[in-house]
Order: sequence, then C-alpha cells, then structure tokens
Amino acid sequence: MIYLDNFRSTMVAPEVWEAMRTVAIEKYAVPAAFTQCGTEAAELIEGAQSRLAAAIGASQSEIVFTGSGTDAINVGLLGATRAAVIDKPEIVTSEIEHPATLAVYKELEKEGYKAHYVKVNSEGCYDLDELASTLNEHTAMVSLMGVNHMIGTIEPISRAGDLIAEASKRVGHKILYHVDFASALQTQRLDVNAVKADLVSFSSNKIHGPKGVGALYVRKGTKVMPITFGAESYSPLVPGTPNTMGIAGFDKAVELLYATFDKDVERMRSLVNRLESGIKERIPYILINGPEGEERAASHLCCSFLYIEGEAIMMFLNMDGIVVDTGSACAAATLKPNYILMAIGRNHEEAHGSIRFTLSRYNTEADVDTTLTKLIPIVERLRAQSTIKPPVQ
Amino acid sequence: MAIKYTAKVIEHFKNPHNIGVIEDADAIATEGSPACGDEITVYLKIDKATDRIEDVKFQSYGCASNIATGSIITDLAKGKTLDEAEAITWKQAADELGGLPPVKMHCSVLAVDGLRSAIRKYKKDVKGVDYDSTLDVKTVTDELRHVLWPPVGVDIITLQMVKYIGIDQGAVTVEISVNPDDKFVDPTINEIIEHVSKIRGVKSVHVENV
Repeated sequence: MIYLDNFRSTMVAPEVWEAMRTVAIEKYAVPAAFTQCGTEAAELIEGAQSRLAAAIGASQSEIVFTGSGTDAINVGLLGATRAAVIDKPEIVTSEIEHPATLAVYKELEKEGYKAHYVKVNSEGCYDLDELASTLNEHTAMVSLMGVNHMIGTIEPISRAGDLIAEASKRVGHKILYHVDFASALQTQRLDVNAVKADLVSFSSNKIHGPKGVGALYVRKGTKVMPITFGAESYSPLVPGTPNTMGIAGFDKAVELLYATFDKDVERMRSLVNRLESGIKERIPYILINGPEGEERAASHLCCSFLYIEGEAIMMFLNMDGIVVDTGSACAAATLKPNYILMAIGRNHEEAHGSIRFTLSRYNTEADVDTTLTKLIPIVERLRAQSTIKPPVQ
Repeated sequence: MAIKYTAKVIEHFKNPHNIGVIEDADAIATEGSPACGDEITVYLKIDKATDRIEDVKFQSYGCASNIATGSIITDLAKGKTLDEAEAITWKQAADELGGLPPVKMHCSVLAVDGLRSAIRKYKKDVKGVDYDSTLDVKTVTDELRHVLWPPVGVDIITLQMVKYIGIDQGAVTVEISVNPDDKFVDPTINEIIEHVSKIRGVKSVHVENV
C-alpha cells in the first residue's frame, strides 16, 4: 500500500510500537506513590512531558496528555473559555478550522458566547486585518491553527499572536490564544513564546505515534476548568488512569520526529514537488488548492482535477493500492463539498474534483512515481466518461 | 458504521457497461447538474417498428455509485420496449446492484431519471405523447418522491417530511419539517429546488424548514 493520507493519520513507527509494547507488558503500572513501578510510571509521563515541552520552548508542568487531539482541543478551548470571566463574552476562530474546533465553538455558541469566524484569502491564509478588528473588550478566546489540514496553508500564527497580545493590552485583560498544532507538528517547528500562545493542542497519530493520545500545552497561570471529572492521577484536567502505553508511544514519536526533523521535511518537500510538477506536466486542467511552494506544509498537496469527481478518483487509486483523500461532496458524510475549499473560493465542481495527497517521512520517490503512473490513466478515463468536457480550444 | 459498496457496485464502477455516446442517437437526456455533485447523460437508439431500445449508452460526471447505477440501468433497459424501460424504478436498479448505502440511493434516482427523461423525450418528440402535466400539488408531490432523505435513502414524501406545498402563478413553496441542525438539511433543500425547478411552468421555488 502507498499511503498518502498522512494528515488523516500515520503509521505507528516501529520504534514507537516497541516502546509501547514494553510499557504494555513490562512497565504497565500507573503513577502511584512509594512503589518503584508507580514511581517509574510517573517518571515516564514526566519524561514525555519534558521532551515535548523542550521542543516547543515550554516547561514540563505546562504539558498535559489527553485522549486525542480532539480531546486536547475540547479540554483547552472549553475549559479555558469557561474559566474566563468576561462580560458578554465573544470567541474568535476562522472559517477553515478543524471540525473539532468548529464543533466546540458551536457548543460554546449554544452556551451564549458570540462567535466570530475570520475569513481567509484564496490561499487559505487568515485575514489578519479582520482578526485585529474583531478583537475587543468582550473577546475571551481566539483559536487558530498552525497548518490547515485540507490545503496545507502555513498560517501566520506568530503575527496573529502579536495582534492578540496588543489587543490584550488595549482592552485591559488577557485574550486567550489557542493554537491547534495537530496538522503542523510534522513539518513546523514551534516556539510557544514566539507565538505568544496560551494553549496549544497536539495529536500523536499525526507524527507516527499511536491513536488515542494527544497533548495540551497550558501556559503557566492560564486558568482551565476541567471538563471531565474523576480520580486525579497526574493532572486535574485529565482525570482517570493515564494511558501510559500511549504516552510512551507519543514520547518516542516526538523523539524520532526531532531526531531527523530538517532532513525529513526537506525530503518530503522534494517528494511533494516531484508529485506536483509531475501532475502539472502530465495532467491538464488541474488547480492547486492552497498556496504554492514554501507557504504550504512540506508534506502536503491538494489538487482539483477538473471535469471529474474525487470519490471516483480516490476509489480507482485505492484499487491500485494508493490511499488519498478527497474534498468531494460525494465522499462526505454530509453530502456537502469541503467547507475549506469553498472558503477559499472554489466552486462546487472544483471541490468535487479535489484530491489531497499528504506524505510522511516513510514515503519514497518510487511511491510518488507509481502514484503518477497510476493517476494519469485514471483521470483520462474518468474524463472520457464524463458528461462535462474541457472547452474546445 | 462502515460505509461501503457491494462487490457488484465496484464491478460496475470499474468496468461500466454501455459507457460512451451514440452519435446518431434518437433521444438524449441529461439529468442532475455538476453543481449538485453528479450528472448523467443517457443516449437511446430506438427500433422504430417495435419501440424497443436497440442500444443505450451513458456518460457520468459523478462518484462510483453514479457510474455503477448508470451502468446497471442501461443494462436493464437494453432490449426492452420504451414502456417497459420507463417502468424501471430506482429501487430495482439499486437492488440489481445488491443495494446501495442509504446516503448514495439518490444516485439510483438520478440514473433512472436520466433514462426516463430520454424515453419521454423520444415519446414526446417522435410519438407525440404529451407529458406536459399541469403544475399542481400532485405534480410537485410526484416530483418530490424523487428526493431522498440521505440517512435512510427513502423519499421525503413517504417519510412525511413535506408539510405544505403551495403554488401561486408558477411560484412554488415547499415547507419541510426537519431539525434545522441536521447536516442533511442544506443538500436536501438543494435537491428539492433542483427537482421542482424541472417541472414545466415553475418560475421559482422556495423551500422553508418550519
């Protein structure tokens, strides 16, 4: 299988699996006082906190592990927004956020928060002027993302952080800033102080760690109300027995990520460039969704193949052992075209023909070449069958 | 729940029967629209002496189930008389494929609509059969039987989701009753507009969720 759907989830790295196996069958105790195995379990979690914290310019106690990236977003956004005491509170995000963030915002709207969804330009980049003009004395929370999962746009989270910090001074209270870094972690470095983030959420399964683990950075002093309740094993924000096996896996995945980070990013960039130029040279009538070049995440390419539909392309590629994703309405559970493609100004037809290729450090040049070889006849065949045709030259 | 296609759907998607165009077709009809996600064009070659469908081909802009249902309805129609082919239902087409996921049932409706449109075009143009019904509540109701509620794949009339149909000098109002937060409300409203707009004499369609 050639797996080019790594923004959905990634393979667990063999070294990660080994680390998890050890914890599952040898070091399976959970944090507890005064026993060697309980202490080791507590130290395992602290070590994992320290490693992720060191990578993003934070301190160990500012990291909590959660049940997933979605869980981290829920704990951070719901918990911190509800803890902020502000009259007629408003919350800000963009129209192209991950469904987890948008779902939490909808929930907060039901609780009476007024939500504002910042628009993006044709490349999916946040309108920072609109963001700045939106912030006021009622703003409690801003949530933005590091990299857009559908179109790969690297978002200006540092400049947004500056605007939020300036606005905080102006309005006389701290406007909280949450960054969803789940899709960005694979290819972007992060310094929470440079970005001026109060909360950052991460997901293990986007970087060759296991599913079922996420992490939340909570800047020291940020008030977060728990959203679930139970026995406190290591953090009041995530009660219950900690998933030490998953945390050990995430920890190993973080270690591996940064061991070869620059080299891997460069390699993925060159593979994506190879795929992109191959498509552009050999397949007419395509659109690149999102920015081109360095403004887009190194592992990401989203193309619209005009005059045909994406689910059909995806299924034919799948039959050839190649896994991709599509923003077509036909493949969506809601039967609606992808909202991010619509937000950048694509029409229904352009969204229908979209295919997202997302690579990982495990993909090879051969994967890209095979994909191109298989993709070309699929597109030609579907176009030959289609009711709509390119305009006659 | 896993959403997947039957082996027969996959087979018809991979190797669709009767795909292409008939250059000297006796009737051609297109249903759906690219903006709604899928479109099918059906070409018919008719034996004028016997009214049998000698040859039928289709083209598809759409997903796997759109291609597979186009393939199966053209198989079903080939060799049949116009009346027999006109009587083929979307349920029959879906059953022939071993079933479709409920959310994809509308593809079968579209394929059958394409076939019926081509047949009716031929009957009207060549045989002088008048299909132009008057615009009334019954015509609109019949057309709305082609709009399926995606989670269950059953039409919105059978499901009693349509509460009111009003017609005033070509302006049609359809009132439905669905949870406004339901993710299928918008695509269903679009489907209603698409279908009702096709009825002769309709100048505008207004759908309200009450």
